[in-house]
Amino acid sequence: MTKKPPVAGEILQGTLDMLILRTLRMGPAHGHTIAQVIEHTSENALEVEQGSLYPALHRLEDRGLLAAEWGVSDNNRRAKFYRLTAKGRKELVAVTSRWQQMTRAIGLILGESESENK
Amino acid sequence: MNLRRFMSRSKKDADLAEEIDAHLVHEQDANTARGLSSEEARRQARLKFGNPRTTREQVWRYRSLPWIDTLWRDLRFVIRSLARTPGFTIIAIVVIAVGIGVTTAVFSVVNAVLLKPLPYPDSEALVELLNTGPRGSFPGANVPKFNIWHQQTSIFQQVAGYDQGGAGLNLTGGDHPQQVQGIHVTADYFAMFGAPVIAGRTFTAAEDSPHGGHVVVLSYGLWKSRFGGNPKIVGTTIPLDGQPYLVVGVIGRNFVTDPPGDLWLPYQFDLNSRDMAHYFTVAARLKPGITLQQANVQLKLAADQFRRTYSSATLGPDGGFGVMPLKELIVGDTRSSLLVLLGAVLLVLLIACANVANLLLARASARKRELATRAALGAGRGQIIRQLLTESLALSLTGGALGLVLGFVGVRMLLSVSANVLPRVGEHGSAVTLDPNILLFALGVSILTGILFGLVPAISASRHNLAASLNESGGRSGVAFRTGRLRGFLVVSEMALALVLVIGASLLIRTFLKLQAVDPGFDTHNLLTMTMSISGDRFQKTGGVAQVIRDGTDRLKAVPGVSNAAAGCCLPLQGGFGVPFDVVGRPKGKERSTGGAGYYSVSWSYFDTFKIPLLRGRGFTENDTGSAPGVVIINEAMAKRFWPKGDPLKDFLLTGVDMGPVFVEPPRQIIGIVGDTHDGSLSRDPRPTMYIPVAQMPDAETALNSRVAPLWWVIRTNMDPHTLVAPITAALRDASGGLPVAHIRTMDETRVRTTSRQRFNMLLLTIFGASGLLMAAIGVYGLMAYSVQQRTQELGIRMALGAQASNIRNMVIRQGMALALIGVVIGIGGAFWLTRFLASFLFGVKAWDPTAFILTPLLLSAVALIAIWIPAHRATRVDPMTALRLE
Repeated sequence: MTKKPPVAGEILQGTLDMLILRTLRMGPAHGHTIAQVIEHTSENALEVEQGSLYPALHRLEDRGLLAAEWGVSDNNRRAKFYRLTAKGRKELVAVTSRWQQMTRAIGLILGESESENK
Repeated sequence: MNLRRFMSRSKKDADLAEEIDAHLVHEQDANTARGLSSEEARRQARLKFGNPRTTREQVWRYRSLPWIDTLWRDLRFVIRSLARTPGFTIIAIVVIAVGIGVTTAVFSVVNAVLLKPLPYPDSEALVELLNTGPRGSFPGANVPKFNIWHQQTSIFQQVAGYDQGGAGLNLTGGDHPQQVQGIHVTADYFAMFGAPVIAGRTFTAAEDSPHGGHVVVLSYGLWKSRFGGNPKIVGTTIPLDGQPYLVVGVIGRNFVTDPPGDLWLPYQFDLNSRDMAHYFTVAARLKPGITLQQANVQLKLAADQFRRTYSSATLGPDGGFGVMPLKELIVGDTRSSLLVLLGAVLLVLLIACANVANLLLARASARKRELATRAALGAGRGQIIRQLLTESLALSLTGGALGLVLGFVGVRMLLSVSANVLPRVGEHGSAVTLDPNILLFALGVSILTGILFGLVPAISASRHNLAASLNESGGRSGVAFRTGRLRGFLVVSEMALALVLVIGASLLIRTFLKLQAVDPGFDTHNLLTMTMSISGDRFQKTGGVAQVIRDGTDRLKAVPGVSNAAAGCCLPLQGGFGVPFDVVGRPKGKERSTGGAGYYSVSWSYFDTFKIPLLRGRGFTENDTGSAPGVVIINEAMAKRFWPKGDPLKDFLLTGVDMGPVFVEPPRQIIGIVGDTHDGSLSRDPRPTMYIPVAQMPDAETALNSRVAPLWWVIRTNMDPHTLVAPITAALRDASGGLPVAHIRTMDETRVRTTSRQRFNMLLLTIFGASGLLMAAIGVYGLMAYSVQQRTQELGIRMALGAQASNIRNMVIRQGMALALIGVVIGIGGAFWLTRFLASFLFGVKAWDPTAFILTPLLLSAVALIAIWIPAHRATRVDPMTALRLE
């Protein structure tokens, strides 16, 4: 189905939430913008599967991390805008630090194995 | 939180759909900006997004609660499938409704009478004081006993004496005097029962002593109805029997007594009294932590103390004191009859369950292919069982809800037509209320029955061989052997259970008929009875009472339509007093008296008015007054029992032996013997009874009587007595100087009341038996009709091969009756074993009454035969050609 697979492929399960929260730190946005921003910021390395974007948004909203409101977009269209709540901000800090710890740990492991191989 | 998410998911879904649309529009805009044509822009946008439905479903699923979803889906499926077979659904629901309805009805009575605590604070600590002896325990007290009990402060918090509101009082003043029920109580009564005082106070100890003054406490009902709820009533006086009584308090509406009372008066006992007659009852509240056993041990010591204080002649060596829970006393022997009814009603419920299980089995085999298809499409066995159970639960809950309504309305109707049958149910059963107990019970029974009748068919239906069922051409193979046997078993049990019920019902019907046939000893038709309260000062001496009776009798006889009239302390069929007596000159041996007998004080025309036959000697005349020599008339039972050979008409009787000074009388000559009448109950033999002219009663006894019981008037009419109520009450009011009468009823009505308990039991068991029989008949019919339908082809072949219609019919009847008869035989065995529990409710019939045990099985077999005849007859109408072409 996908014609030209992006480098990093589909977003890892669970990281989508983090990316959404991170994107919204810059201000309220609607679903389409969020997807675009993630793709552009990652220099098109990450492709947001749009079918899973909305379930993720709704889940985050149900958990109280996001608040949503209907509004009008830049090109004068109706759209549902999401913004971070205080709880969402806290969550973003927490998941970001978790993520950094994890990538560092993975990096360490990969670095070691590389040196062994040589 | 999950639930809120679940509830709002439809709204959220619409929101999401709109959001996805918005997304697509934005993507399309972006594509257009890249220079694509609008058509291509839209295509690309959709392509990139994928299927919006999938996204929506994903969100929807995440918002749903799986079990509710499954349940809802099953339920919708069940409703659709039940709606497709309305005949089955309606029959099943009605059968369940009847089963659960009768069960709920009986349970709601059991709940009100047996389960609910008495309506007093800490009512478990309330006990009734009893006299114990070798012949059982009975309540009843006199002042000496009350004194001793009152001293047992180590076990009792409060001890209070009270009467049953016997005599009644006349609330005079105003336009219409009114007879009210006044309950005499000792001072601790209100504290003991925890009665709520809403105005004023209750009696002080000083007010409850002799010469304590005329004081009264009003009930809420009387305060509202007679005094309009006047808030300033306390401190005013009201006229009772022509005397002013000071109202000291009003009791709240929640305070219920049994029997109900309108007002309370202090007993004002003379605590030095040595009267030994029992004329009130005593209850007590146990101290916290004191058990019944501890109380009974202490009361043994109290009995010794009693003998030391009041001479051992007044309490035999076997006699003693004891306590029982007040609730047990009030419930009395209705407990066993309610438990029997509950047992019977469970049989009805079982029959209903078997019946519905049978219907479900038939339905399941008709749906074999549907179920097999579902299984083939991937439904697991568990899923199929779950779906079938959902179906039976839907049926049982619907039926249960209907049954709850039916049963509740039914029981209220039944209680409203059977007055005085049960204690604690209130007027017309008003105390039988829909409380959580009953709702829980109905719900529990519904679920239990749903599982009970649903599980077996569900398991058996889910066991079918898939391939075989699918390959089967519809309806050919007939009843699968296993289900056939199962259904046969169910029908046999239905017949057996129904037989047990109908035999029980027929025993009670025969009991009732025997009771109806009992000759009460007098002519009950065209007799009107009523009470007159004679509690005033005028009636403390015998002369005053005799005067009222003489005047009243004269006035009544002058009323057109009245042929005779009399008065007395007591009526036949209602019971009266009993006292010990001596035959003058007859050695007593070791006994304290010659014997005991009923003691009726009556006016001279009593026997003529009742048409009680005079067997020997003479009756009373107007001249048997206080100044004439003492006379007594005895009944036949007394003559036979105490003069088996000799002639009573020469002897003298001394009544009230050993009962204290009030009852001391000169010897009376026996002047006549009258026929026996039943008092109390028609099922008991008439007891020995003495009749004494009211005019010859000692004054002290008259004074005591006037407090304990009202005067009964009885009027013989030569037309429907109801039409004469107005002139009769007017005549009595004139004759008595304005005394009202109450409790107006005919002797026929009284007679009906004496058998109302038996009628109630009989009515209920007959209803149960009839519904059981009907359901069993439906069961047999259903099974045979179904099997005939399934075997159409086989029957067709048989007929094509030359079988006669009669052969076919007999074959079907043989098969059906075999089942019915097995059920009948098992039922007879079961009934032999179970009717022993009915033994104590029977009169004039044995628990193994041959008539019941022969006629009932015949009746049941006849009903079964009719139920089988219809399908058997239908079997003979099978057209061989059609049957064979049915493929």
